[in-house]
Amino acid sequence: MTDYTLQELMVIEAARQIRDGDVVFVGTGLPLLATAFAQRTHAPNLCFVVESGAIAPLVLPTPISVSDPRLMHRAVRLGTLREVLGCLLQRGLVDVGFLGGAQIDRFGNINSTVIGDYAKPTVRLPGSGGGNDIASHAKRLLIVTRHEKRRFPPRCDYITSPGYLNGPDARAKAGLKVTHPSFAVVTDLAVLEIDPATAQLRIARLMPGVSVEQVRKNTGFEPLVAHPVRSVEPPNPEQVRILREEIDPNGIYLKQSP
Amino acid sequence: MQALEATPKVVSLKEAVARFVRTGCSVGLGGQNIGRCAMAGIHEVIRQGHRDLTIYGCNLSISMDLLVGAGLVRRCESGTGNLERFGTTFCWRRGIENGTLEVEDYSHLAMVSRFLAGEMGVPFMPVKSLLGSDLLTYSSGSGLKKFQVIDNPWNPGEPVVLVPAVTPDVSIIHVQKADPLGNVIIEGFATHEPEMVRASRHTIVTCEELVETDQIRRDPERTTIPYPHVSAVVHQPWGAYPTSTYRYYDYDGDEITRYQAAARASGGAYRRYLDDYVYGCASFEDYLDKVCSPTRREELAAAMQAML
Repeated sequence: MTDYTLQELMVIEAARQIRDGDVVFVGTGLPLLATAFAQRTHAPNLCFVVESGAIAPLVLPTPISVSDPRLMHRAVRLGTLREVLGCLLQRGLVDVGFLGGAQIDRFGNINSTVIGDYAKPTVRLPGSGGGNDIASHAKRLLIVTRHEKRRFPPRCDYITSPGYLNGPDARAKAGLKVTHPSFAVVTDLAVLEIDPATAQLRIARLMPGVSVEQVRKNTGFEPLVAHPVRSVEPPNPEQVRILREEIDPNGIYLKQSP
Repeated sequence: MQALEATPKVVSLKEAVARFVRTGCSVGLGGQNIGRCAMAGIHEVIRQGHRDLTIYGCNLSISMDLLVGAGLVRRCESGTGNLERFGTTFCWRRGIENGTLEVEDYSHLAMVSRFLAGEMGVPFMPVKSLLGSDLLTYSSGSGLKKFQVIDNPWNPGEPVVLVPAVTPDVSIIHVQKADPLGNVIIEGFATHEPEMVRASRHTIVTCEELVETDQIRRDPERTTIPYPHVSAVVHQPWGAYPTSTYRYYDYDGDEITRYQAAARASGGAYRRYLDDYVYGCASFEDYLDKVCSPTRREELAAAMQAML
């Protein structure tokens, strides 16, 4: 059996959602590792797009910011924020967008703005950034997050980035051009996807050794359950080696101890 | 708008800030996160103490946080405040949480669209982001209209969001190269700066290298922003430190971490940071001499060269 951590499997499982040739809008952290891993393995022709304006860089390990020069290495263009968020993303040319936030609710909406009341915040978070734009315009949305009850409330305190809002047709009614994006929330317990009939998150796959009950206990709403629920495929030794030695060799994001 | 004739605009940083930044004015900030923030210009604004500022940007990071921490900012309009791996922008966050700082939240595309409207001389720009989200539910409560949703005149039934133009009184950016007339070459990523600068009434440019106009005229396609949009040019090597300048030097994580520790601690620790590294320095060179040795500068420059 391969020695790996759940965090490593999260990255690899997120990478599996990316197809060769995809245009991928990515920030930093685990999404960046997942995209770099996909490019190094099964998706050599994917196109990185980075908010600061970098298009198709050959990323060096390991950027810590969207303005990190490591994320610009040998790009085909270092352009502007308007070009990537406007001419690629809003224009409809981005296949996959990664999102992050403090809260994800049952409809896949994301909060990265405020905990508590907007006017009198308990905790003020960074805000939308490009998140709202990615959630509005990318065809497939990916979220990588730890699975904790407080991160999965029934309803976000503030919807920064739209998931399915409150039902299957809500995005269309709101006027969003991408009416039914595909959705995968990869956590340390499971992979959740959107159930097309209800537009709510359902447990699609479980991390090895995790039960549906465990996921339920750590989710602030009652998640739907796919039939059948499958298991996330563990990584092979070569995948773990690539991740540790080539993608995040200095352990910037990955904790090496299992 | 500044004079359109080609006249030399090279001035000292003190003079540029004194001339174009005023108490109560709006300021557009360049850079993003740990890249190319106009740190030298911001230190000078703080030393001169221009208060009651409205700050515009897409991502606002350490330069904005310093202005807020120094008590000079009334309102921010942006897409984010943070320093990614180095944490949040603590002064900004505290100001919002305790109600002393007014904010208007947009997405990054909405903000750059507002600058685009400003630079095109039109009153607003349509966007298809924001729809369905709480960015259209809540506003700062300032009474200023944040947005308007309209029906697409060419496709009735389709909602479109209009966001208002932004025309900052002055923008402050740090770039790789500029000539004495104010022609600007930005190398590497340019974030929202081309739109923001062309939307601004005045722009102060600090640059790593002051180049001859002849060089600009030989390779005009390299000019990111031509001189009619620029009011003052300041030769200021290392002017983005501790953030990075593409092709010149990497960011300095140790110095950013030191700032973040003071900003997180607030109170006396933060006041000491400002006293030691901003008010207590006569110029940005003084600050650089205090915190970044020649050896360290060589390391940061070499680290950048290794990445190109």
